Amino acid sequence: MGTDQQVRVAQLGRLERLPWRRIILVILGVTIATTVGVGAYRTLTLPEGQGYAARAWGDFIVLGLAQGSIYALIALGYTLVYGILRMINFAHGEVFMFGAFGSYFFANAYEESGFLERQPIVALAIILGVAIATSVVVAVLLERIAYRPLRGAPRLVPLITAIGASLFLQNTARGFFGAQTRGYAKPGFLEGRWEIIGVAFPRIRVVVFLVALVSVVLLTLFIEKTTTGKSMRAVAEDSEIASLMGINVDRVIVITFAIGGVLAGIAGVLFAMTFEAVNFFMGFQPGIAAFTAAVLGGIGSIAGAALGGLTLGLLESLGPSLILTGYQVPSPFQLKPAFTFLVLVLVLIFRPGGILGTGEAEKV
Amino acid sequence: MSVDEPHLLELRNVAKHFGGLYALSGLDMHVDRGEIVSVIGPNGAGKSTMFNVVTGLYGPDEGDVLFDGQSIVRFAPNQITRMGIGRTFQTVHLFPNMTVLENAMVGQHSRSRSGVFGAIFRPPGTRREEERIRQRAKESLEFFGSRLAGYRQEQPAFSLSYANRRRLEMARALATDPLLLLLDEPTAGMNPRETIELRDHIVRMRDERGLTVLVIEHDMRVVKGVSDRVIALDYGRKIAEGTYEDVANDPQVIEAYLGTKAAG
Amino acid sequence: MGPVPLRSVLRAGAAGGFVLIFLSLVGLIGRFADLNLVGEQVTLGRVLLFLPPFGAAFLVARPRVVAGERLAAGPGAGAGAGAVTGVVTSALFGAAVAFADWFDVARIRQVFVAASPAVIEFVTFERGVAVGVLILLGLGVVAGALGGLARTGQRRVTGALAAGAFTAILMGLLQRIVPVAMQELGIDPDFLYSGRTRSLTWGGGVGLFVLAGGANVLWHRSGQETREKVRATMAQEPAARTGILVVLLAVLVILPVLLGSVISQVLGSVMVFVLLGLGLNIVVGYAGLLDLGYVAFYAFGAYMMALLTGATLNTTTGSAAPAFSMDLNFYFAIWIVVVLAAGMGLLIGAPVLRLRGDYLAIVTLGLGEIVRVLAESRWLQPVVGGPQGMRGVTNAAIGDYGFRQPQHFYYLALAFVVLAVFVSWRLSASRIGRAWNAMREDEQVANAMGVSTTKYKLLAFAMGGAVGSLGGALFAVQIGSLTPASFQILVSITALAVVILGGLGSLPGVVAGALVLIGLPGLLREFEEFRLLIYGAVLVAIMVLRPQGLLPNVRRMRELHEEEAAQDEWVRRFAEGADEAAAVGALPGGPLGVEQEDLT
Repeated sequence: MGTDQQVRVAQLGRLERLPWRRIILVILGVTIATTVGVGAYRTLTLPEGQGYAARAWGDFIVLGLAQGSIYALIALGYTLVYGILRMINFAHGEVFMFGAFGSYFFANAYEESGFLERQPIVALAIILGVAIATSVVVAVLLERIAYRPLRGAPRLVPLITAIGASLFLQNTARGFFGAQTRGYAKPGFLEGRWEIIGVAFPRIRVVVFLVALVSVVLLTLFIEKTTTGKSMRAVAEDSEIASLMGINVDRVIVITFAIGGVLAGIAGVLFAMTFEAVNFFMGFQPGIAAFTAAVLGGIGSIAGAALGGLTLGLLESLGPSLILTGYQVPSPFQLKPAFTFLVLVLVLIFRPGGILGTGEAEKV
Repeated sequence: MSVDEPHLLELRNVAKHFGGLYALSGLDMHVDRGEIVSVIGPNGAGKSTMFNVVTGLYGPDEGDVLFDGQSIVRFAPNQITRMGIGRTFQTVHLFPNMTVLENAMVGQHSRSRSGVFGAIFRPPGTRREEERIRQRAKESLEFFGSRLAGYRQEQPAFSLSYANRRRLEMARALATDPLLLLLDEPTAGMNPRETIELRDHIVRMRDERGLTVLVIEHDMRVVKGVSDRVIALDYGRKIAEGTYEDVANDPQVIEAYLGTKAAG
Repeated sequence: MGPVPLRSVLRAGAAGGFVLIFLSLVGLIGRFADLNLVGEQVTLGRVLLFLPPFGAAFLVARPRVVAGERLAAGPGAGAGAGAVTGVVTSALFGAAVAFADWFDVARIRQVFVAASPAVIEFVTFERGVAVGVLILLGLGVVAGALGGLARTGQRRVTGALAAGAFTAILMGLLQRIVPVAMQELGIDPDFLYSGRTRSLTWGGGVGLFVLAGGANVLWHRSGQETREKVRATMAQEPAARTGILVVLLAVLVILPVLLGSVISQVLGSVMVFVLLGLGLNIVVGYAGLLDLGYVAFYAFGAYMMALLTGATLNTTTGSAAPAFSMDLNFYFAIWIVVVLAAGMGLLIGAPVLRLRGDYLAIVTLGLGEIVRVLAESRWLQPVVGGPQGMRGVTNAAIGDYGFRQPQHFYYLALAFVVLAVFVSWRLSASRIGRAWNAMREDEQVANAMGVSTTKYKLLAFAMGGAVGSLGGALFAVQIGSLTPASFQILVSITALAVVILGGLGSLPGVVAGALVLIGLPGLLREFEEFRLLIYGAVLVAIMVLRPQGLLPNVRRMRELHEEEAAQDEWVRRFAEGADEAAAVGALPGGPLGVEQEDLT
């Protein structure tokens, strides 16, 4: 009979009852905090000539913020699409790259003809316009051809498609434009540095930061105040109900991709001017970094993307220099990508929702 | 049942909130071995939340849950299942692309042990265990008669009719060899004949298999037909407890249901 | 045009036109303009000119559901609609060509590097723009009509013609491989391949076409029942299955002897990727964990094998000993590598246990990149050699018989592949496989049923990592030296593509995927430049058109595409050879639904 067989409740072994997850997290947290702390301390107490001067730190910070601004602009595209479709648009880095490349030909032509110097503002406006247009076209095509047929498919499918699209777009650019890196022109007034409160900032990086700031503000206003923005928020919450409320979900999705494209196009020009180069592969690393930034800040949130971008830029810039130098690691900046991802892994372990998210993992 | 023997399941002052919403607050209840206890209450009363807290999907914010005298709030769901609590879900959650038999065999997972070595080399011990798992799974399926027997067992779960899916989910829970079985609205969506059949199954679970059963139900015919005891919840706390007649006539309960009493 | 709406014709035609423009601008047409396939007239470039209008017409002529009725165009209407579509395609392309010619190709070349007068000449058939465009239009009409006919014509005929054309083109593409293989076998290839044009002879081409078409007709004529019987026997009779496996194994063993060392080299690489695919199949296919950083295990296996068998670091001044090194025998070291890799799998799996699909993907991607960065870094250069890498990996010799020679390596790799296949198969058919399936279908519920998702996720990473590291270790033996350049994220993506293309959770699928994605490009070196472009397109196409892969695991097909697969099966069986009208009457609104605009 049943009752005789199961007299006693099955017991769990003593080992199993330990809260392993918490134990490991604590150990990990302490180890990391110690490593970071000790590393930073040692770097900062290095003797003259071996460490970094105060001015170097300033440069690091400026660099980090500027790079972070670019990440933020791209990250916004990721976070918008993720908010609406719950998918990572892996090919967004290529949207960025095409914007940069598309505008390259105009930038190049204007530089050679001198137009860039004579009428820098007009030239810049046109260059930005071309970049934005190219990026938007690529983004919208991407949605239409690769993503729309897969709406509602299990999560794995659109992700693989996005990876395929990314490969395809990269190599299309390579086929179209060739594999060599092209030098990207910059209007004269953006060369050199500005003196602000006694510190010399590279002009281009200041401009990048300001543009990103303005973009984030405008985007937030757009999402909060306009009807389209409200529709986007509705679709992000529940696309089925939104369509029942009369919102054209397809159109909203296209608009979302388009906005992401606009931001990516702008980021493309800024990036190209900062590093004075474009090539077909340039979208990969910033793309990954931007997605990392979006997750870091809290995916699905605009403020999160912006914050994540800046934070990541700073971490990438300060991390190797501040922490690794202290341990006498040679060429610490080589390890920058490793640093980026380590940060991502750690954030997702301790705070899966990101900086601005709740502390809990999202319930499936 | 002597006074010093612990209840099989006991909730002490359990509270659980989601944001500002208190799904459970100050909930005290218990189930003793061999009982069939029904939990009733209007929608949103916290019944499924209580199940989720007991089975470890999330922990309570306050209070304690004791299984045979032992606190289980810190344990993971799979550990709690291994300790002897099985459950079904309010909406059917089968493994749709696995066969009926495979679904039931998953239930036996926590009662078996073979690992990588066994999988690769298939020593006699592993093969015996697989056979035993198969047998127990079949027994659980055949508890419901011929509906889940024979050729049906090799069909993918998504191809079953609604009622059969519910039965499969219960069979799967049975296959975990539990001491305590939690059934979450098992007759939802079934027609009267199926409902009566299921009511009898629940009683059989206790009589033939020695299980203790805690059922969330809306259908008062079932509640009346199976329960040794009924507990009524509203807004996350217990508002009445006793036999079916006691609870059904309790003014608080009637009020909670806004005066409607299902024919019964 | 029958039931084909004009709007559809225009859209498909325009799409086809843009595809043609794309093919030209990305360099495919220019590059393959002169690649002879059959004789000197049928070149790959010309085939590429033919395909877009053909394809557009094929799409246009599909049956549609209009107001609940399934309407399929007859061959006449299909050809007509197709021809019009083809014209639209060619007109668009012709206009682009004319524009390019007018605008001055040299200026276009400043943006699109593939644009050149030579390409313009090719697409105008060397007769100038005006005449050329007319020819293109004619080509469009013909290709379009054929495309329409292919869709609306009798299945048996069109199927046979397609099989014939496909075989002829494929054999034409393999023009450098097949003659060599035939010579090794002692057969004189002259009747098939012309030494002068390096392509199929016309006789050979036509012959292959007829043969393949005929085989196709015979296969279909033997009737549904016979085929079902064969399939059923194969599936159910254990003796038959073992028999087939033995035959398969024998073929695999004889292959390198037959095919010579060049092909064996390619096959060796295929085997390495089969191993990678098998390992990733455990992680993604069985356990449902999307790992985009699989290259980490590959690299680990390779570098570990190198370090354990006494390889040295490449330095600017020669070679140096690594900071840590042992000089073990391959057959001893390989097991150490596998065990250590399993441990690494646990390390990688531990932090990602709670992560959902997309997050998991990106984090594993990051972990893979971390490994690459570390391998290239100056910091770890004393251990793994930095960008210059290492050399001197063992050749796994047994006595005097070394395994670095392509044919020998193939055998070594094959042995491990067989082992890995066996282990994968046993795992999937066990209690562990059941737990993985449950976890993959519904993680929370599996947990509630007693499956420790933590344990099984870790197990998946460990086993997957172990198998992947096997691939890496063998790769190190195959090449003999290592550089970090071999461990880019592309490897992870390729491995994933192999598994997806073949079919998630399907063991034969992994082999098929590796053959297509590694074998074909290995044999068709001309396409190397476009390999990644094609990979990307294939991935997208597979996901959109057939996510269950080439040789799907039946269970998986249900998961990814259940209703559509069932519908396809149903429609195919029902409509095959039957009167279309009868099919219309018999199709309820139900499974094929009125919501769908088209039935493919």
